[in-house]
Amino acid sequence: MSALDPRAQDAAQPDTKPGKKKILVPRVENGHETMVEIEVDDAEGSGRPQWGPRDALRLVNHELVRVDAVDKVTGCARYTHDVRLPGMLYARFLGCPIAHAEVTVDVAAAKKVPGVVEARVVRDGEVKFLGQPVAVVAAKTREALEDGLRAIVLGIKPLPFAVTREQSLAANAPEVNRRGNASKPNEEGDPAAVAKAFEGCAAVIEATYEVPIQHHACLETHGAVVDVPTNDSATVYHSTQATYASANEFKGPLKVKEVEVVNEHMGGGFGSKFEAGVEGRVASELARDLKAPIHLMLSRRDEFLCAGNRSGCVQTVKLGGDVQGKLVAMQSSIDRLGGLGGGSHAGLPYIYEVATSVRTMRSVYTHLDANRAMRAPGHPQASFGMESALDELAYALGVDLVEIRKRNVGDVHRRQLDRVAREIGWNEHPHKSKPDLSDATTKVGIGFGLSVWGGGGHPECRVTVEISPDGGVRASVGSQDLGTGVRTYVTAIVAEELGLSMSGVTARIGRTSYGPANASGGSMTSASLAPAVKHAAFNARKAFAESLAKTLKSDASEIVFDVQGVYDARSKRRLAWKDACATLGPAGISATGEWQAHLASNGIHGVQSAKVRVDTRTGKLEVLKMVCMQDCGLVLNRTGARSQIFGGMVQALSYALFEQRVVEPDLGIAMNANFEDYKLAASLEIPEMVAILDDEDTRGVIGVAEATVVPGHSAIANAVHNACGVRLRSLPLNPDKLLLGLAGLKKG
Amino acid sequence: MKAFELARPVTLDQALQELEKDSAKRDRTKLFAGGQDLVTELKEHLVEPDKLVDLKRIPGLDRIEVQPDGSLVIGCLVTLATLAEHAETKNFFTALAEAARSVGSAQIRSQGTVGGNLNQRPRCWYYRHELAPCLKKGGSECYAYAGLNKYNAILGGGPSYIVHPSDLAPALVAFDAEVTLRGAKGERKLALEEFYTLPAEADVTRETVLAPDEILTHVRVPAKPGWSSTYVKFKERGSYDFALASVAVAVRAAGSPRTIQDARLVLGGVAPKPWNVPKAAEALLGIDGVKTWTAAGNRAVAGAEPLAHNAYKVPLVKGLILQAMEALAKR
Repeated sequence: MSALDPRAQDAAQPDTKPGKKKILVPRVENGHETMVEIEVDDAEGSGRPQWGPRDALRLVNHELVRVDAVDKVTGCARYTHDVRLPGMLYARFLGCPIAHAEVTVDVAAAKKVPGVVEARVVRDGEVKFLGQPVAVVAAKTREALEDGLRAIVLGIKPLPFAVTREQSLAANAPEVNRRGNASKPNEEGDPAAVAKAFEGCAAVIEATYEVPIQHHACLETHGAVVDVPTNDSATVYHSTQATYASANEFKGPLKVKEVEVVNEHMGGGFGSKFEAGVEGRVASELARDLKAPIHLMLSRRDEFLCAGNRSGCVQTVKLGGDVQGKLVAMQSSIDRLGGLGGGSHAGLPYIYEVATSVRTMRSVYTHLDANRAMRAPGHPQASFGMESALDELAYALGVDLVEIRKRNVGDVHRRQLDRVAREIGWNEHPHKSKPDLSDATTKVGIGFGLSVWGGGGHPECRVTVEISPDGGVRASVGSQDLGTGVRTYVTAIVAEELGLSMSGVTARIGRTSYGPANASGGSMTSASLAPAVKHAAFNARKAFAESLAKTLKSDASEIVFDVQGVYDARSKRRLAWKDACATLGPAGISATGEWQAHLASNGIHGVQSAKVRVDTRTGKLEVLKMVCMQDCGLVLNRTGARSQIFGGMVQALSYALFEQRVVEPDLGIAMNANFEDYKLAASLEIPEMVAILDDEDTRGVIGVAEATVVPGHSAIANAVHNACGVRLRSLPLNPDKLLLGLAGLKKG
Repeated sequence: MKAFELARPVTLDQALQELEKDSAKRDRTKLFAGGQDLVTELKEHLVEPDKLVDLKRIPGLDRIEVQPDGSLVIGCLVTLATLAEHAETKNFFTALAEAARSVGSAQIRSQGTVGGNLNQRPRCWYYRHELAPCLKKGGSECYAYAGLNKYNAILGGGPSYIVHPSDLAPALVAFDAEVTLRGAKGERKLALEEFYTLPAEADVTRETVLAPDEILTHVRVPAKPGWSSTYVKFKERGSYDFALASVAVAVRAAGSPRTIQDARLVLGGVAPKPWNVPKAAEALLGIDGVKTWTAAGNRAVAGAEPLAHNAYKVPLVKGLILQAMEALAKR
């Protein structure tokens, strides 16, 4: 059972104290997410903010247009890349071009390039991964910067390297990690019990499934613009998913007590932007030493090579079931491939209940940058192993692909499976337990995959809502918008509480001084932030009601805020919003809010399906349609939630069809560290997509982002097999593999 | 980036005077039109010229002229977007319009030119990597031969295994197109097929016979009354990509049952030059149908010598020929 399986959380409930509940929350350390259990208040008392009945909501849970949409599409939104400060210098790294080397760095010539202000060694001696920054140049123009970087003389003495799993595990492999190129395998389960359980199975399949190292491919590369520090403070513009925490990281290298981190808009992070990183440290040192603002954003090539990756894996799975398709026994061994990092894998069995299982897992190290968290770390990898093996078993048993899934999961997934199956056209599909092995040249197949996630909140955010005498309402939150539409739901929650329209509230986000805020990891921003916003708006409304009650000689409980303004039930008087605000003193109302456990929940479920068409003559694979049904408690913005689902499906589709880091195994150089050769799905690859929000879920707010990326590629790979009988056990599902698979089928 | 002089001639003669005469120094001066290939080469430091000769101010080279006999004369500065949308090209030289339409993205097609497309350099990963001193860059080894060669040649390879990346070239060869090369001493015309070279037969660092002091000014496509054609390109990523393989087919067919009287079949993406396979075209002659298409497919890949990672191109080419012929049969 996975740590994130909702059943695990249900089981944890009985041990809690009265008035408290235990929840699993993601914690991010060194860019890696782990789930930890915390205890929180579970009081549902009166006098607390409540979301209220769903059908009474006016803005929340409706189709909301992003409040910053126009700014984004017109280019007005200021991203870190866009920041320009007076006297600013452009800085960038030079990375080591090979995987493992002894490097000397001579920056003398670079310093002489006109326009170059500084050139420094970042690292010399042993360089341990391909692309590791070895030097930095700061210059007045980007052209001078390019020339400066080019003028650096690197003395490279190549050292033996391992850039693939095979190279790392070879008998004469060079040392990657002092404690061994593979970590000690961690074993869970009883091998003897599993071996016995396999004996009773109606069918057993065994296969190896591989996923390559993938990139986050953030449109905005990593980096910061660091302003010149004064004696005790500094401002840093940082493309980060942890604005509040990031301030602390900059204090050291800037040698100041206070750092204001600003992050109004960011172009993606996906888990790779928790840390200030070497780019943040070096930018700070340059700003301090040169007394000039420094713009240090990674080049696209650097971004590909030194800003983290989604780890790959090789997983060998043996799975057995009974005649009905109930999973009886599973044995698995997993190698995580995260470069110098440990890699991540959610473990097997994944989601599905298997009566008896055993697994071993280890990390295999290579001379590549360490993996970082990436949207549901370890889950898409586990999904590919589990869903592929489950599918293979279903075919071996002759059991319907939807039925076998329903037999091994809980009620929510079962209900979602039925709905998704209906939407994708499963009921009419002729190939439910056998692939289409006819002679047709184009064939259509359907595949499925499931997801789970935590997505619960954290007591981290402090939000301020201010009401001015002129009628203005402002909500300030320190949290960044990783891409989920934070400004929009902050606006909606406050406007809903105060009876205002969206345009009546201004949301300010992404600044340390706006208040303590969560790091955006584990899809926990919504569940952490929304309750605090609700609480702040609730407190502001209460304070406003009390103030008005005094003015109107009424009682705060008699003051009602609705779309027509403010109504005093005692005097039956109605005031326009602006007139009511005018009764406030010059300071207006300022109220803060903090996390409210009862407004959030956690543990979500999703089912996805893909319909594909395969041309058996050319190996052309087209994804025709994808369907997702997803629960996530109270939806804050239905358009936004569906947009998250579409984004997750597209990212998984791209993973399925194209994405992999390619490193030349003999030369140790990067072959596709650019957007031409590292292929991402583009407009013509996008299928018809249907996102169904599971409105039977009546819980509080839960984050949804990561669950949506977990199963799409598995569903696509399964659909390929369903379409034509070729089982592709390694991603990406390129036409070369498909064509060879088809040729193999013909030979029998 | 190394500083370079930008020459902006307004006549062809002025442009020719700017060019390098010495073959050994040919990379010191580069022709510049749409810049879609050149700028990537500059950014990757594959070429570091002293001078760029911008052709865009020379009048008359950006036109497609339809001759009275129906043939086309296409100037080297005609953009791919213009060619793709040109009515006569679409109607009478369909494969050429389809090939133009299949290149890159809308942005690339609006900038990229016919001359640039025909003269572009290979996309091979090793050629494009500054740190791989491959044969194409004057080195001593074709790294693709024993390396990552999924995108490389199955036909005509050795000692270099690049594939020619042009989409227009296979379509134009299928139409028996001819190119005009203008040099200081005059001009020469030759079949486009003769314009391209194989690495074993000529300078391995080049893909064409273009001399350093010559400019490809025009492409003439002879009229093909009664012919129909198509260009089928297989892109790994449909939105924009180079070909894993492509097929240009042109046929003259009549009668019922439909009978093919003449045919051309040229492959792209599988060899260091557009791979004209007259024997495969010959197999298409006669009553049109799956039988002749399959025979043509088998002949098209005859002699293929796949490397470790590109054997899939053999069935792919056969599949594309079936697809192309099926499309033509429906027209």
